[in-house]
Amino acid sequence: MNKEYRKIKTQLIIVIGIIILLLWILIPLYWALKTSVSYPEEAWNPGLPSKITFENYIQLFNPYPFAKRYAIGAEAALPQPVIVPIKNSFIVAIIAATVSTIIGMFAGYNLARFHYKGKRLTMYYILFTYIFPTFMLAIPLMVILKQIGLLNTLQGLTFVHLAYTLPYSILMLRSYFMEIPIELEESALIDGCTRSSSFLRITLPLSAPGLVTSFVFAFTLSWNDLLFALILLSSSELYTLPLEMNFFLWGGEIVDPIGLSAVAVFTGIIPVILYMILQKYIVIGLVRGALKR
Amino acid sequence: MKYKKALYEWIYILPALITLTILFIFPLFFNFWISFQEKSLGKEASFVGLKNYIKVFNSSVLYVSLLNTFIYAFTAVFFKTIIGLTVALFLNMKFKGRGFLRGLSILPWALPMYVVCVLFWFNYDAKGTFNNLLRFFGLKPIHWLGFDYAMPSVILINVWHGWPFFFMGILAGLQAVPIELYESAEIDGASSFQKFIHITLPFIKPVILTVALLSLMWTMGDFTTIYMMTSGGPVDKTLTIPMASFQIAFFREVDIPLAAAYTIVILPIYLVLIFITLRQMA
Repeated sequence: MNKEYRKIKTQLIIVIGIIILLLWILIPLYWALKTSVSYPEEAWNPGLPSKITFENYIQLFNPYPFAKRYAIGAEAALPQPVIVPIKNSFIVAIIAATVSTIIGMFAGYNLARFHYKGKRLTMYYILFTYIFPTFMLAIPLMVILKQIGLLNTLQGLTFVHLAYTLPYSILMLRSYFMEIPIELEESALIDGCTRSSSFLRITLPLSAPGLVTSFVFAFTLSWNDLLFALILLSSSELYTLPLEMNFFLWGGEIVDPIGLSAVAVFTGIIPVILYMILQKYIVIGLVRGALKR
Repeated sequence: MKYKKALYEWIYILPALITLTILFIFPLFFNFWISFQEKSLGKEASFVGLKNYIKVFNSSVLYVSLLNTFIYAFTAVFFKTIIGLTVALFLNMKFKGRGFLRGLSILPWALPMYVVCVLFWFNYDAKGTFNNLLRFFGLKPIHWLGFDYAMPSVILINVWHGWPFFFMGILAGLQAVPIELYESAEIDGASSFQKFIHITLPFIKPVILTVALLSLMWTMGDFTTIYMMTSGGPVDKTLTIPMASFQIAFFREVDIPLAAAYTIVILPIYLVLIFITLRQMA
């Protein structure tokens, strides 16, 4: 009797827990998702749309600046078609992720394999840059980039994004290299292999998943940046996606809900897909990678 | 030979160290240097000594932004810890659909912060989700980003976006607790609450502390949420430190040296927190 009662109690807790968790996650997502597939007439309708359209998403890739939507409805006055910031965001994130994975690969290998004086200090330095709040760097970096002529360029923005991506890539790849048995390399070294070729030929190919993870997370870190883009970019043809969002507002009011929701969902879905694919590496990378040494 | 080996090993990490030094250490010192200058439009920068620092200490922005940042960060981290811990304990139970819920729980955190803010533009809108829900339950609509509710509203966004980080960290900690401990406690007749207090909590305490400290750093440095939702308003109600430094530099005073002095003044607070966090992580 008592056992039966406890079993039912547990079942009840699980069901209620599932419902609360689902509501907590899904309610904030609902409005933007349903608006992004609505026709303009139904944009502010609280219920689900009576008919669904994907036109709002297709329009994101329309290269003509003043292309009219199929239906009337207030349209945001965008300085550039949305495809321009989409392209800029991709260029910046891909280059920043590539560079930080390459530099981080060598640095991570150094921290995982070599023993030397000052290694502890180096490790602390990288952890320091990992948690240092980047907003403090924004103003001086802007002044510096201005003086070397990289202000308002995508190159400048990409370089500055390494402040987010590089510490992460180093820590992530270090923890990855540490999991690879050192014996594999040692036997190669005995066979007369040099250190760099044992790294390039043995450890690196085994670390392909680690390299992919580093690239993907660095990509999302760069993709997620608003602050540096805001401070460094002033020409609208160089804008990245976060800067595009504010054009859908006028005096704090949303003027083009369907356009805005489509941009936001598209921008959000890219890191979400990447995270879902690499789900099991997230904890390894972010928590354990930084903690274990 | 020994030197050659040492040099060879350093070459691996040198590009990273140079890049990080250009991006972190150099700007920090440069900021220090800027903070002693004065630059008015069309004029050459000139050295003014401590003038900017006196201005910073005499302006209420410093104290208002400090207070707001502490309210924002500590409240948000508190709720993120509670929710992250609860969901981690829940999704550590065995039931069907657990794997799916674990995956779904990462979703808020996987979204870029500015996208989360756009979601909440829709939710907080007068015609949007939350006011419709209030009306549905027969309650009065709220002005979510108005003077009274602005701070709780931005905290809610930060909590909704950030709790999965706690969930993931704590869940990893829970999975590392040896099952034998629970088994022997059960033989001794311990209740589930006793098991939680005496076995689970001591085991995951270091993880919770580390995750909370990391999150506290990031929340105190969060610019995006405030910029997207309120820009520090209404009437400085949500003016946090990152927002204030941006406001001083580009909106209000349009004074970059003054903003530099402001960030130097608050730098020690962040350095102390970083020191505590690094010690906890080590």
